[in-house]
Amino acid sequence: MTKKPKVYALSTCPYCKRTRRFLDEHKVAYDCIEVDLLDDDEQDKALEEVQKLTGRSSFPVVIIGDEIIVGHDEERLKKALKL
Amino acid sequence: MTVHEIERVFCPVCLAKFKFAEGWKEGDLVICPICGQKLKLARGAEGWVGERPEKGTEKEIRERSEEFARLRGYVFGDVKEEIIEGLMGKYKRFGDFYCPCRMNHTPEYQCPCKPTRGGDVEKNGRCYCWFFLKKT
Repeated sequence: MTKKPKVYALSTCPYCKRTRRFLDEHKVAYDCIEVDLLDDDEQDKALEEVQKLTGRSSFPVVIIGDEIIVGHDEERLKKALKL
Repeated sequence: MTVHEIERVFCPVCLAKFKFAEGWKEGDLVICPICGQKLKLARGAEGWVGERPEKGTEKEIRERSEEFARLRGYVFGDVKEEIIEGLMGKYKRFGDFYCPCRMNHTPEYQCPCKPTRGGDVEKNGRCYCWFFLKKT
């Protein structure tokens, strides 16, 4: 069993919402970190993680196994999740 | 010799100064030609400043966006309402209308953000959020 997908999102970003909606609609269980709603220290940590994973701070970031998807991209999500 | 210095108005949103037009007076409502913000003219210690009469309200950010789009001849993307909602969220949590698609809470990322004010829409056909689009 592979690890649950992880989503880094901003609560204010429409594309993050679309990605989450897409995962919900496809009944994919995932962990979501709403970076902007975290406390300062945790927020810095999350931003560092995003920077390390993607080399920038764009959202959403979806991690599915070894695959890292930046931005709302349904085709890549489908492929990575074998939907 | 009289030196006529061009009077300017400071906009607290885009942090730039624009030309004071003839006939304007204290208390007048004017639109910042750079970012579209509605400002009430006031005299500060260092010259004219614009005050934000409806600071932090949905009306303020809607009007600013509409004016900005009108000034530049842009149209809105289909994410418009979600962006407005996101901007309201940014105001609540971070104290101003910062770009809802980013984690930058500095004045240059107040919507319309500096890259957008600087011509990103002409260059890319859209702003970072696909909120403002170039007319096709």
